[in-house]
Amino acid sequence: MEVLSAGLGEFRFTEPDAIRAWMRDRKRRDFIDKTLTAGEAVHRFVADGDYVSFDFSSYTRGPLGLIREIIRQRRRDLWYCAKFTLMESTLLVAAGACSRIDVGFMGLGESLNRAVEEGRVKVVEWTNGALTLRHLAGGMGVPFLPTRALLGTDTLKYSGARVVTDPFGGKPIALVPALNPDVGLIHVHQADLYGNARCFGPGVSPLETAMASKKVIISADEIIDHEEIRKDPAKTTIPYFMVDAVVPAPFGAYPGGVQGLYEADYEHFAEYTGLEREGRLAEYLDKYVYSVGSDLEMLEKRVGLGRLNGLRRRATIREGYR
Amino acid sequence: MTREFTEAEFMIAQCARLLEDQKTAFIGFGMPQVAAMLAQRLQAPQLVQVFEFGAIGPIPLTPFVRGTMGGPANCYRSIAWTSMNQIFAQAHVDLIDYGVLGATQIDRYGNINSTMLGDDFTRPKKRFPGSGGANEVASYCWKTIVIMLHERRRFVPRVDFVTSPGYLDGTPGARERAGLPSDTGPWRVVTSKALFGFDLESREMKLIGVLQGLTQAQVLAEMEFKPVVAEPLEALAPPTAAELRILREEIDPSRTIVGRPAQ
Repeated sequence: MEVLSAGLGEFRFTEPDAIRAWMRDRKRRDFIDKTLTAGEAVHRFVADGDYVSFDFSSYTRGPLGLIREIIRQRRRDLWYCAKFTLMESTLLVAAGACSRIDVGFMGLGESLNRAVEEGRVKVVEWTNGALTLRHLAGGMGVPFLPTRALLGTDTLKYSGARVVTDPFGGKPIALVPALNPDVGLIHVHQADLYGNARCFGPGVSPLETAMASKKVIISADEIIDHEEIRKDPAKTTIPYFMVDAVVPAPFGAYPGGVQGLYEADYEHFAEYTGLEREGRLAEYLDKYVYSVGSDLEMLEKRVGLGRLNGLRRRATIREGYR
Repeated sequence: MTREFTEAEFMIAQCARLLEDQKTAFIGFGMPQVAAMLAQRLQAPQLVQVFEFGAIGPIPLTPFVRGTMGGPANCYRSIAWTSMNQIFAQAHVDLIDYGVLGATQIDRYGNINSTMLGDDFTRPKKRFPGSGGANEVASYCWKTIVIMLHERRRFVPRVDFVTSPGYLDGTPGARERAGLPSDTGPWRVVTSKALFGFDLESREMKLIGVLQGLTQAQVLAEMEFKPVVAEPLEALAPPTAAELRILREEIDPSRTIVGRPAQ
């Protein structure tokens, strides 16, 4: 296939046979209890320099508790996949945990944009669709997938995509390289001890993120019996053998919501936005991350049961989310 | 000039009028959502909104809350909840009639910039959040509608960065030559002062309507390039009482998106 043009962006690429070997050797097929605390899971499965992917949004079913734990454990030099990400990409950069971002869509507020302008964080340009397609390729074990997006744009020029002549139809087509993140972080409604997981409602790419990632950490609002999974298998979003750790995490998406369980805490987002605008994210991180030993302690001491119950009461739309 | 409506209200009402009932429309974040909600409450109750995170056909609850695009209020009473790869596949095979997008900057050929200002990618003068799903929407949908404030700095001869494709360099067949799906591209640009289409030959942006009470010169003064101008020019009706009532009382009572008319 003739390469007509190649994007300038740097990208992580793992050779498909190397991924096969990883999946063969590292992903367990036996039914073992994978529950860990967030602290244990991040300690074991997130290393400095890792490529980290996240699903789905800081407002809805995002693994914000796991993000806070990564910041708390002072991980450095992460390469972050900003497909549809808002607050968490800003927090990771503000905390000095992240030095590169694949964009998608990034940031909540202006401070992350300033960091890019000042060269404090490197970005590679993609789109939300290209990044989820790259996860699908990585999860399928193929080296790339084609797309008719990106073509003709500067987005392509600063991505790692390549344009080739379609060997079947003869027209130009963009190819995006497979992506196999080192770590996939996914918050779910329910999971069993083994990692069989259920997400209700739409999502960006929970399944593709789990398929593609070398290490998968699930955080779950509720732990359910394995028998419940077997009684209603159509509800399983992610099968257990993709999953490395299950973190029981009620309100694990806070300050975001989880559909049908609790609403996003808009007062918290307003507090964040105020501090972000004033360049005071260090105070935010101190209050919600560094000054507490765990997310549970944060929820108890910084949010409180009354407010959490209020968020549950406001989740009045339940249909479809069970 | 005092007006009884805001720039945002006019833009949103204009955009909503373009959306037809029982058609599919890919809806971007923010103002496109409000326009689709307004259309659904007027002429297009069965407008099938689709979103990049996979929701198909919701009837979003009001009031509109910014931020919760993927949450239960916006996804209420959907037809299907899918994923990003699936919904972009639907657009890829051209099941989606309209795309509705916001934009930071646009050029005479409808190329959209939502990435950066400046000429050095590694050190932009000003950085923005990036494409999101806009590149896919602008690449795939049959008819793309761009909704944006009418400000001189936003309408430039050439965007600093082509995030999402318009008619590229404007030469005939430029999109097809690049490999983009045939017969797609920007269809309307809806602004706070005017309505634009694109000239079928030159692919240049074409002024087709001006808000009643404004002159052509007032509109062109707020653009860094001169578009093709249609003859005759349409006079665009201001928001109707019904449109304003729905926007102010049902969709956005706190007026965070639509704002308040200047006193």
